[in-house]
Formats: sequence, C-alpha cells, structure tokens
Amino acid sequence: MSGEDKFDVIIIGAGPAGTACAYTLAKEGKNVLVIERGTAAGSKNVTGGRFYTYALDLVEPGLWEDAALERKVTHEQIMMMAGEQSITIDYSNPAFNKSGEMPQSFTILRAVFDEWFASKAEEQGAVIACGIKVDGLIEEAGRITGVKAGGDEMFADLVIAADGVNSMIARQAGLVPELSDKTIGVGVKEIIELPAKTIEERFHLKSGEGASLLMLGCTEGIHGGGFLYTNNESISLGCVFTPSEAASHGRQVHDIFQDLKMHPSIYPLIEGGKTVEYGAHLVREEGYRGIPKKLYRDGLMVIGEAAGFVLNIGYTIRGIDLAIVSGVAAARAVISGKNPGPAYFEELNNIKLLPSMKAVDGYFDLLEIHRLYETYPKVASGVFNKMYSISGETPVSIKKGIWGVLKDNKVSLWQLVKDGIRGYRSI
Amino acid sequence: MAGVYVYSDNTELCGELIALARTSEQEVCAVTMSDQQGSELAKYGPDTIFVLKGQNHAAESYSGAIAKLLTDQDASLFLAGATVRGRDIAAQVAAKMKAGLISEAGSVNFCNGKISAARYMYGGLTEQVEEGKGLTVITVPSGRYAAVNNDSVKSVVVSMTVDTDPRIKITGSSPIVKEGADLSKAGRIVCVGMGFDKKEDLVIAHKLAEALGAEVGCTRCIAEDRGWMPAETYIGISGAVVKPDLYIALGVSGQIQHTFGVRDSKIIVGVNNNEKATIFGVSDYGIVGDLYEIAPLLADAIKNI
Amino acid sequence: MSNVIVCFKWVKAEDDLRIDPATLAVDLSKAKGKISDYDRNAIEAARIASESAGSETIALTFGSNDAKTALKDALSRGPKQAFWVNDVSAENADGFVTANMLAAAIRKIGSYSLIVCGEGAADTYAHQVGPRIGALLDIPVISFVKEMRIEGSRLYAVRKLEDSLEQVEADLPAVVTVLPEINPAPIPGLKAVLEGGKKPVTEFKIQDLDLEDGDTSRKTDVVSFKGCSMSRKKILINEGDAKEKVTALVAALKKEGVL
Repeated sequence: MSGEDKFDVIIIGAGPAGTACAYTLAKEGKNVLVIERGTAAGSKNVTGGRFYTYALDLVEPGLWEDAALERKVTHEQIMMMAGEQSITIDYSNPAFNKSGEMPQSFTILRAVFDEWFASKAEEQGAVIACGIKVDGLIEEAGRITGVKAGGDEMFADLVIAADGVNSMIARQAGLVPELSDKTIGVGVKEIIELPAKTIEERFHLKSGEGASLLMLGCTEGIHGGGFLYTNNESISLGCVFTPSEAASHGRQVHDIFQDLKMHPSIYPLIEGGKTVEYGAHLVREEGYRGIPKKLYRDGLMVIGEAAGFVLNIGYTIRGIDLAIVSGVAAARAVISGKNPGPAYFEELNNIKLLPSMKAVDGYFDLLEIHRLYETYPKVASGVFNKMYSISGETPVSIKKGIWGVLKDNKVSLWQLVKDGIRGYRSI
Repeated sequence: MAGVYVYSDNTELCGELIALARTSEQEVCAVTMSDQQGSELAKYGPDTIFVLKGQNHAAESYSGAIAKLLTDQDASLFLAGATVRGRDIAAQVAAKMKAGLISEAGSVNFCNGKISAARYMYGGLTEQVEEGKGLTVITVPSGRYAAVNNDSVKSVVVSMTVDTDPRIKITGSSPIVKEGADLSKAGRIVCVGMGFDKKEDLVIAHKLAEALGAEVGCTRCIAEDRGWMPAETYIGISGAVVKPDLYIALGVSGQIQHTFGVRDSKIIVGVNNNEKATIFGVSDYGIVGDLYEIAPLLADAIKNI
Repeated sequence: MSNVIVCFKWVKAEDDLRIDPATLAVDLSKAKGKISDYDRNAIEAARIASESAGSETIALTFGSNDAKTALKDALSRGPKQAFWVNDVSAENADGFVTANMLAAAIRKIGSYSLIVCGEGAADTYAHQVGPRIGALLDIPVISFVKEMRIEGSRLYAVRKLEDSLEQVEADLPAVVTVLPEINPAPIPGLKAVLEGGKKPVTEFKIQDLDLEDGDTSRKTDVVSFKGCSMSRKKILINEGDAKEKVTALVAALKKEGVL
C-alpha cells in the first residue's frame, strides 16, 4: 500500500459522531478521512431536531457561537393525550438561558447542522469524501486494516464506524448483533414550514426562542410517543414507536402519524404549514443496556448511534449530543497513544457518557409499562374532565371522581401501587 | 430592409414562424439555402424570400452569412425553428451579432415595439419571460403557432451568393430507423418506468397497450441505462415530447425531466407502489399498487368494455 | 494533440425548488447545487477523448462562490485540473454573458484542441453556450453529437437530428456539444473523489479576462420568473382491493371520455 492510500484514521459516516471525532483528530494533526454515503454531510439525515450545546463546547470551546442552530429551547413541554383530550405541562427556567452564557439546548435541522459541522472539520484538515458507500472492511490476520468502497481499497491504522443506528460495519465486524425489533423504535418525522412569526405566536415565544414538546398517549397504547420542535421557520413533528407492537394493533406507521397531526391540540400548531421533508428512522430504545459489550476490536472502533449512544427517556430524547461526546472520546483515546480499546472506555467514562447513560438506565423499565401510553393519559384526562366539567348539576367529589375514572379504565389500586413503585425505582 | 427574419430547415415550421412574424406588423423575410425550399415557402406569403447560395451544403455553415444578411438588412428579430440545426444556427448567429437569444420560446409577443418571449426552465417547473434589447434571436419549437397559407402576398425572391464556412463537412446521413411508433402523434401511451424488474416483464406493458390501442414509451433510464427499449421511445425533456389523450405511467417515479415530456397530455394516470412517488403529484388519477397486479387487471377491464 | 477543455455548469437542483402555490413565486434559496446532469456525460466524453488522444482534460466553469463544491466534484470525474471564472454575475447570466466568459477563459488557457459542452444545461436547457463559444473563438462547431472519435487533428462525429444521423467531420480545434447518450457518466469512486480534492484549481476574476465593454451584461431582460402550475386532478384511488381500484379507474376514464 502506498502513502496515498493510507490514513491514520478512516471514519465511516459524517454525522455528528464521525465529524466530532474527525474534527478532534485533525486538530491534533492526525491524517483523517471521513467517508459519507450521502452527497453531502446530513443529506441522508432525518433524525434530530434537538441538540444540547455542551457537547459542541467539548469539541471546541465557543464553537457553538458559529454553529448552524435554529432556536434556543426556552420551553420544555409534555403533553398527555387521551382521545381528543390533552393536558400540557410547560416548564420554563431562565437559568437554562442566562444572557451572555451558552444556552443549554437548541433545536437544529440536521441537514443544515451536519453540513456546517463537516465544513468545520474540513477546516481543521480532515478529508471528507461524500457520495461514497463503504461496502466492507478489510481484515488482515484478525486486524481491521482498511475499507472497501466500489473497486477501491483504502487503508488506515484505525477504522471508526460512525454509520448510524443500523451499523452495517459494526455488525460485519462482529461487535454489534442484528437489531431486535423489540428494542428498536421506528421514528417518522415531517418538517413543516411556517413563518417565524406564526411559530412565535402559536408557542408564545420571543424571537430566537424555541419550544420542545413531547407527547404521550398519541400512539394508541403502543409503546412510543410524539415529539415537536420549533425551528426558525419550520416545525419538526414526529413520533417514535415499536413497530412490532404497531403491527399487532393492526396499525400502520403512517396512519398513527396522520392521527397525531390531526389531533385537536396539535393541528392548530401546524395549521397552514407546508410539509417539505418526510423521513423515517430507526431509534434504539434500550439506553445503557443497548450498548454492545465491545466497542472495539483490533483496528476498529464504534461510536455514536452505531454504538447505541442514544437515550429515549420519556421526557426527553437525546442522541446528537451523546454522538458528539462519543466521537470526542474516541478521538482522545487515539491521541493518548494508549491501547485504543481500553483507552476508549476510559475516555467514555472520563467524559461522563457511560455514567450518565447508566444513571437513567431504569427508565427503560418504566417505559415498558404499557399503561403509560394509553391508560394513564386517559386517567389523567378523565380526572381533569371531572374537575372542569361544570353543568350546574351537583358534582361528585373529586376523590370519588378519581376512583370512578380508574374504574372506567380498569386500573386496580394494586396496579397503581406496583407501577408507582416501579416508576420510583427507575428514577 | 428592416423586419423579422425567419429560418427553419423544417418547411412547415418555417410556415409557422412566418405566421408568428406577421403578428409583429413588420416586414417578414424568410431565409433559406435552397431554391426548392424557397419555392415551397412562397405559399406562406413572406414579403421576401432570401435564397442564400454557398459552397458548403451544411446548413450550419451559413450562420456567418445569415449574420451578415441580418446586419446588412438591419433586421430587428431573427426567428429560427427550434430543430437541431435551427438551435445551432441561432446560437452562432446570436454570438456573431452580439445578440441575445431566447431559446425554445413557447410564446412570443410583440407589444409597443418590444419583443418578449416565455420559456420553460428547470424542466418545466418554472417559466421565465424575457424581453429582447436590440436585435434579438428567438428559437420556437414546432406546433406552437399554426402555419397559414397566404396568397395575398406575392413574395419577392432574392437569390444571393454567400460565403459559407468550409471547415465543417457532412460526409453522410442515414435515417433513424424508428423502432417504436411516433410517440409525438400517439393518442394513447403506456409508459414503462424503473418499477419493472426485468426486460421480459415489459410484456405486461405491451399487453395493456394492445388492449388500449396505445403505443409504448419509456423513461430515459429504461432506454439509456438499461437499454431495454430504443432511445427513440423515451419520453422527456431530452427525448420525445408527447401529448396523448391518455397517458398511463407504470412504475414511473415522475422526475420532472420525464414529466416535462407529458405535460400536454389530456389525462395522466400513475401506477406506483410508492405512495410518495412524485408521479402522483402530476397525475389526474393515481393507483398506489403493484403494477404487476394492476396492469393486467386494467388490460382485462378494458377488453371487457 | 493539446488539451481537451470541458465546460460545465453548476446549477440549482430542480428537486429543491420551492414554488408557492398561491403566488407561484419561486424560492431558489434552499436549493442545493449540482453539476448539470448532461454536463456529467460531457465531462466523461472529454475524458475519453483526451485519453484516446493522449492529452489532458481541463474542466472549466463560470460560477459564483457557490460553485466551489462543483470543482472538486468535476475533478473527481477525471479532468487533471480546473479553471473557474468566479463572479457573482454567473447567477443570472444569460447565454451571451456565459459564452463570453468561457470563451475569454479558453483564450487565456491558450492551448486547446477540443472544447466539449453538454447539449444544454439542466436549469435553462437553452442549447446556446456551446455553439456561441465556437462562433466567438471562430472554430468549427458540431452540435448534438452522439458519437465521436479523433484521428490526428481531425474530428469525426455522428450528430443526431430529428429523423436522421449525420456523419460530420472538421479539423481541430473545434467545439462539440454532446448528447447524454454519447456515454454514461460513472459515479466517481473513493480514490477518484480523494484525488479530485487534490487537483489544481485556477481561479479567474472577470478583470483577469480580456473582455470588451458590454460583454458582461445580459442581452435580454428577465421580465418575470415564476412557477408553472401543472394543474392535475391528483385523485388517488385508494379504496378497496386491486380489482376494485381498477374498476374505479376505468369508470373515471370513461367519464373523462378517454376510453
């Protein structure tokens, strides 16, 4: 192999993980090649919508100020739906967005963000080759030494798989098993264009401010939920749920999403908008326990969503920040010059990625409770219904009302206590 | 003499241009390179027919001579038929005269001494209207204006010997053997798209066409990438432009390069198993379904009418 | 034989155009760029021609800053180097301005034996820049070419007319505009993409070129630019099984009077 065909590191995938890794390595003078399947970074991407800023600061302090971001999230909302009814909780904390300080979180459009981020890595000296599909790895004497793409072979001291949720590379290398359809969610998302002013009016936002809204009870009892993020001039609306369950309910992904769009509490938010992008994506739902035992073998490392770094914990969905953090951890492991496998794990701990995922691990159990997706939103709405129904008739007492609602929804006291304990344990 | 000058190697199209030029209420002069076409053009009644005679019989070699004629005569507009030769000559004449060229104009308007023309861009997604400044060259495709026989004008024929470009030599010509039918005149068309898995399956499209009495066309990928059908049968901006009463697209995704070629159809039907396929946005009727199932059923249903 | 120069255009991808259905206003701001589809075939045709003649392929474009990405893309398709006339006026240039720029750049490059252009651009599809360049450089033009070969300093080409194929020959240097069917446009592989990023690009500014007054201003004014409404019924037949759908379609087509 000639010097022309050899890099220090080849990264497969120019998403947030791959790009963060390439940026960090290139900045330290490493000769890095990123191979991206799409015609541009971000062009194959339909995920995202929400991003936690600290991760970008980890790549380079102050980098976020120049980033292609949409709105800083000032309103965290959770909506519980039951049929046509809904209850919304809106949490706002100015401490997350103090003036002069780095806002905690932004909404983003991945196609825009990824392209910007990749251009920054290029400025650091990383080589990014777009429009190329990697067909496989080159293995010599048990060690991964390069990649094959089309008829071409390219070699490196280390190959890093950052090729997303259903990583063909990690599977081929034997690090990650086939995804099981029980632990994987299907996400569908639309980007709906609306004027900035309309978005600000509908969500009670000031210019530059954004809302993040998660929805429960919109998936007809199927394990899953909805999300809505406000961008500058568009709304990202989607839902994620377990496909095998949807199938057993005889429902199509598309139908459930259509119903969500038409819900009386959602439709007024998107009314008059124009859908400009539609996409579907797989989402890992296991959190910490979904991370493969091994993320390294001789010559190959796995980062980002390919390595299971994604958290869906009901009140928030995180993936992009974790992807970036894992990319930085991998890069630091390489730069340290230590044995890359153990060094990578050490960095994942140092950078607090593994500890933070472990801390919320119990949520997976909580989210397993099916009553969360149908019964409890119904119960909550039922209670509110009793509280707010005023017809001039003598109302039943609130306590009696609540029992009535529980009974209507076939929830026993025992179940309530059991789920309560399970919920308490999980947090 | 100032006026509108027209040229096309296609005599009927030249007649259409003469009719269009008449609406300018200026002198209308036809330009030709042969006595035979000159005499055929007389029936359309241009005021003058310039017959240019040079050494080289390649029409493109006359572009310098045409530019000189237009300059000498102080022409205000040069209309050329948008054929292969016409486009080439128009562009070279425009360059030599430092003139603007509006290509493939769907309509041309004369208003208050100004010339404007509308043309499609982005594969027919958008339309741009341009206005000429000074002498302007415009190419017009056939079928946009109707040729009119006009006996009331007795055309003056002016023959002149001109210099032609000796550097290009036509050494031979062979007719294109049309393997498919002339799609541009077909009343019904069944179109084959990439939804077909293998060449043998095209029989499904042919059976439907047979039931309908339709011709079979295809998308560019079918003809050029897969080579399943002759190049003459592909429909689109760079291929055949058709206007049937009924156009049925089987497994066609509906890229605009293709749909540009069918935009003048009366009724468009799309059959595609992808409900998000672009074809449904430009169809009158769409069936989301497997063409392998739908097309034979449709053929049977039509036979039973 | 000296260089083969291939001209290409960086255009907005038509799939990304946004058209307001009410006003028909066109929004190009969100559209990504691409090398005009037919120019990709032209680049490959130029590569094949120069390879057979043992000369070098040079890519040339007239574009604004946006076209920077285009150069890498073009160079990954085979040319050894690229020249770029960088000016913002490219974004609303007509064929007159574009041909003036390219011809002036070609004069500056100096050594060439063949100029290859696509038959038309994916955005305007106006078929004029190629023949205009030939006229400006005063060299022969062979347009709408579907086959070509070079023997010594002579070019042999087959043109495709409406209903005939024409064998044409001319001495080099000459301009050809090529049909997409002349050859496929292969998607560049990994190594080609990496090499493309390393090849030299020479940037010209307008003032570097030998142009006359007026050469840089459009010859036609754009009066309007708007979306076309393709008003179709867009009725999706969804109800029932395949047979019922077909029955519904046949009924509808009968009603339309097309069966």
